[in-house]
Parts: sequence; C-alpha cells; structure tokens
Amino acid sequence: MAATRSQGSYYTLFLVASTVLCAGIFVGGGKGVLLLLIGAVGLLASLFGMLKIKSLEGKTAMKPGPTAMKLIGAFVAGLGWVITLFGMHLTPSVGGRLVLALVGIGVSLFGMIVVLPAAFNKNAVWKS
Amino acid sequence: MKKLIRGSCFILCILSMCLALSTAVRAQAPAAAAAAAAAAPPAAPADAELKGALAKAPSTSDLAKGDPGGAITGTLNDVPIADSKAGPTVTDVGTQVGQNKIAINFVWTLVTGFLVMFMQAGFAMVESGLCRVKNANHTYMMNFFVYTAGLFSYWLIGFAIQMGGAAGNGNLGGLQSLSVEHTTSLFGKTWGLFGGTGFFLSGHTYDVGVMVIFLFQMVFMDTALTIVTGACAERWKFLAFCVSSSIMGAITYPLYANWAWGGGWLSQLGVNNQLGKGYCDFAGSGVVHAVGGMTALAVSLIVGPRIGKFNRDGSSNPIIGHDISAVLIGCFILAFGWFGFNPGSTLGASANGNLRIGTIAVDTMLAGCTGTLGAMLYMWMKNGKVDASMSGNGLLAGLVAITAPSGFVSSVGACIIGVIAGFLVCLSVAFIENVMKVDDPVGAISVHGTCGLWGVLSVGLLADGTSNYGGSWNGVTGSVTGLFYGDPSQLVAQLVGISTLIGFVFTFSFLINLALEFFVGQRVSVATEVAGLDLPEMGQLGYPEFVLKPEPDVLLQAEKGYAVA
Repeated sequence: MAATRSQGSYYTLFLVASTVLCAGIFVGGGKGVLLLLIGAVGLLASLFGMLKIKSLEGKTAMKPGPTAMKLIGAFVAGLGWVITLFGMHLTPSVGGRLVLALVGIGVSLFGMIVVLPAAFNKNAVWKS
Repeated sequence: MKKLIRGSCFILCILSMCLALSTAVRAQAPAAAAAAAAAAPPAAPADAELKGALAKAPSTSDLAKGDPGGAITGTLNDVPIADSKAGPTVTDVGTQVGQNKIAINFVWTLVTGFLVMFMQAGFAMVESGLCRVKNANHTYMMNFFVYTAGLFSYWLIGFAIQMGGAAGNGNLGGLQSLSVEHTTSLFGKTWGLFGGTGFFLSGHTYDVGVMVIFLFQMVFMDTALTIVTGACAERWKFLAFCVSSSIMGAITYPLYANWAWGGGWLSQLGVNNQLGKGYCDFAGSGVVHAVGGMTALAVSLIVGPRIGKFNRDGSSNPIIGHDISAVLIGCFILAFGWFGFNPGSTLGASANGNLRIGTIAVDTMLAGCTGTLGAMLYMWMKNGKVDASMSGNGLLAGLVAITAPSGFVSSVGACIIGVIAGFLVCLSVAFIENVMKVDDPVGAISVHGTCGLWGVLSVGLLADGTSNYGGSWNGVTGSVTGLFYGDPSQLVAQLVGISTLIGFVFTFSFLINLALEFFVGQRVSVATEVAGLDLPEMGQLGYPEFVLKPEPDVLLQAEKGYAVA
C-alpha cells in the first residue's frame, strides 16, 4: 500500500496540533497551558494514528537490526561531544583543548561511522 | 462727604490704572517673548549652509527638461523635511542618511534571500536528475514540499528558537524586539541555549527589521532541509519525509543555528573561553550544510539502501540517474544562488565593513571553480573518463566548503579550500558507499556533510585577519584569524563546532528519526519501491508519455528476489 487518505488526515492533524502547541507557548499563562496540552494531545494522537496505519503499508526491504547496538552507537556519538565540551574547562591551554576536542571528535566519529553502520548492516537484507 | 467721594474716585482711578497696566503687561508678554526669540543666535551654520544648498538645487522647471546624464536627479530637494517653514536641517539629513543605510541593507538582504530561495529549484533538478525516471515526480515533489513544510514550522516556532535572542544587529536597525535568549550558567559563565521571542512573528516582533531577517534565515533553513531529501531519495515514504522535515525546521536546525548565529553558546566561546572570536561560520558550511548532511546520514542509515544497490558480497552497483542535463543545469542554478548565500550573509551592503561583499562573491566563485577542477581531474585520472555528475558535485563541494570561510579568507585561500573540497567529495562518496554501506543516491552526505565540516575547519586554518565587520566578531574585538595567520585558539573554537555537529546534531537527528521509524515507518513498501514511487505515492508519473526502459539485469534480479521474499 502506498499513500492513503489516512496518511493525509494524520499529517493534517499533526500540523494543526503543532500550531496549537506553539500558540500555547506564545500565549502563556493559563490559556497558554491549556492550548499547550491540547496541542500535545493532538500531536500524540497523530503519531499513534500513523502507528496504527503503519502495518497496513506492506513489507519493506529492511530487517530489524539490533536496537541496543543502534542506541550504543548514538550514545558513543553523543559521548564524544560531551568530552569536547568538558575538555574546554579541564585545561586553559589552547594545546590541551585542541587535543581534547580532537579526542571528542574521534569518539563521535567512531560511533557515527563505525558502530551505527555496523548495527544497521548486521542484518541487512542485501546480505541474504 | 465731597472729600469722601473724591477719595473714592481717586482709589478707583488708581485701581483702574493698575488693572489696565497689568492687562497691558500681560498682553505684551508674547511680544516680548517673540522679541527675545528674534534676538536669539542665528540658525546653526550647517543648517544655513543646507538652506543655501537648497536654494541652489535644481528647480522643477530644470527637472522638467529631462536629465539624461543623471546629474541633477537626487538632490537636497529629495530629502524629506520635518518643518517646511524652517527648511532643511542637519537632523533631516542625518535621518535620511540613517534610513538610506538601513534601506540599502534591507534591499540587499531581501534580494540575496530571494536568490537563496531560488536554489530550491537547483536542488530539485540535481536530485531528480540523479534519480531514476520512475521516481522523478516523487523526488521533485519532496523538493517542492520541503519549502512549505519547513517554512510553516519555522514560522510557528523555529525562528523564535533560532533568532529570539539575536537583538543588536546594527545593519538591520538593531532588531531590538528579538531580546529573549534563554541561558544557563555553567562553570561560572552564562551560555545561550535558545531564543524565546518571534513565535508567529507576532507581538513585538511584528517589526520591519524582523521580517527581513526572518525571510533571509528561513531560506537558509530550507536549504538544510532539502539536503536530506537527496540522500533518502527513491525509498523515503512521503509521510515520513513530511513529518521529519517539519520537525527539522522547527527544532533541529534552529537549535544549532541559535548556538552559532543567534547569540548562543558556540558564538560565546570567544567571550567566555577566549577561543578566538568564538565559533565562526560566516554563511553556514556548518549551520546549513553540515546540519543537513549530518541529518541526511542519520536518516539514510535508518531508511537503508535501495533495492539492488548492494550485492550479497557487499559490493555496490551503480544506479544511474535519468537526466544529466537537469543535474548540470541544477548545479548552475545553485552556483548562481550561492551569490545570495555568501555575500548576503553580511546582512547589509552599507557600513560595518560590508563593502567586503565583492571579496566574498569572488571567493565563492573561485572555490566553486577549483572544486569542479578537483573533482573532475580526480575522476578523470582515476577512471580515465570525465564524470559529469561528480564534476557537478565538485562544484557544489567547493561552494559548500567556502560558505563558512567566505567572509574571512583571501582568494588564494578560497582556491585552496575549493580544490581540497573537490578531492574530498570524491573520496567521501567512495567511503560512504563502499565502507559504510550507506546508499546516498546524489552524494548529499559527502557534498554537504563532509565538505561542510571541512569548510568549518578551514576558517580555523585560513582566516587571514583582514576582515573587519564593525571592528569585532561575536563580541570579541578584532578580526577572525586562523592558525596559519597566528591564532590557534580559533581552530579550537571551530573544532568545538565540528564536535557539536557530529556529536549533537547527528545524534539528535538520529534519535528523532528513529522514533519516527517506530511511529510512522520511514521506508516505502517493496511493491512501491519496485514500481517506482511516482504512481503509488504521488498518483502520477513524472514523465507519463515516456516508455520506461527495463532496469539493468542486476537490479531486476534484486527486485524479483525482494518481491518473492
């Protein structure tokens, strides 16, 4: 199955709910909180609506990969950023900060171009 | 009795005289004031000179004779005068000069913004041309709708997050209504996190200057969003694309853009940590292109490769695009739009060192040129043939790379940056396809991600310290200067920006799109993919009168295999 009316309806709901949610942030106060809640409920409804029709759309050319490995990859990529951030405050020297920034980038790259592709390619359909 | 009457009359006369005198004095007061005013010093010499100049200005009868040389059009006569009786004053002229400066900058920023908007057409042509004909309508439509999806979510909240605390830009009149930046205190310093005004462009942000900066920043945001559509073309479900793009325009892009351009923590690295002039990204190699490239990689990983792209042994098959002419014309449109992207990022043509726009435009041109040379010569030497699509990618790679340093480097620096980007894009495309096994039909991750990161890094190496945009950058006095010109700390600031792009932007985009994979499902079904996305997703073929040539055997076999499985 391809694009459907339901998809269009749920995306419309998504946009309307986003607008209401943002209006809630803009208005503020009691009315704002009310709008924010209505918007958040609408957003969740649109997402769960999309989830409901997802299974009707037929088989995709993908196999589920190891979720834990994907999350570990994302964690490692994020960890590199944290190393860089705290590295700026560990030492005042330019050289020290430079090295720590490079270490942080290296860790992030490891997560991004080594761990995550390995996670997604582990059960890749093209291998079978 | 007579004495009494005479005395009363005398008193009455005296009283009458006093009354008459007081009335006379009261009546004479304005006249006295007028006399005092008349005795005041004459008009300031400058004002008097202006009046003299006004007398010499061409009359309406002079102008009625026509002015073919343009010598008498535009004189003191055209300066609006507050008090016509008093004539022109220095205040009148000063007001007009200020308005002229802002007007020049408004027009400059708007027109360059219009050029950037036109880049959407270039992206659409490049991406669709590199896809198969059965997916042409879908790819064009993604490039078309990303403009709407991004613009709407940016108007709702994205602009407020990015620019809500960006007050203080003198080029556009101060933008004082953008005055709320949410901050946090860490290590004894205050760091900007995200803005808080500008939702719906309402309230105090219903302002002429804010509208100009909104338009300019919006088209930049949209460029970042459209990068993802190329990397995920030919298998991305349209609904997932719509939701993902809306979220990217609302949150992902504005957050990083705030940190770099909206007064956020990256721009404060110079003030808070003495790292050069803080993170410097003149026109967005990082903010626009690397954010788009990192998100493209995240979504491409989740969406997976197209059917038939990789063989069982991991080797890859080329899947040739349907229209190389669209690709190359699209590249030219993009190169044209880049003259809005980079020179427009001064946000003005008048004052504050903005006359550097000529240098910026030439740097942009040269980097595109050497980028093309780098990619074309590399492929020619490697494969013995000139690769047209990779040459186009080389042009774009050079332009992407020069985007961040364009305001800070010389023409020689621009050439070096461009040629390195040209080589880099070829190596990166091969690495992403053959080592990472990620399918990127148009090379968007390499062009925008890899070369965007190179552009950010190059500022820390090659910024020559000659630019002077009002005497400071990111609140730090002086010019942006890279490692090779004496300031190694600038390189560290750039590395922090790169680390944020890889470590934060990529991870954030990945997690959001992983959640969307759960709720929405990112990929079309096998049946849809084999048939081509045009009919199942769009209900219409891109080229309905074309007879489609069968796919190459290797792809047909792969498609049959998936359909059976």
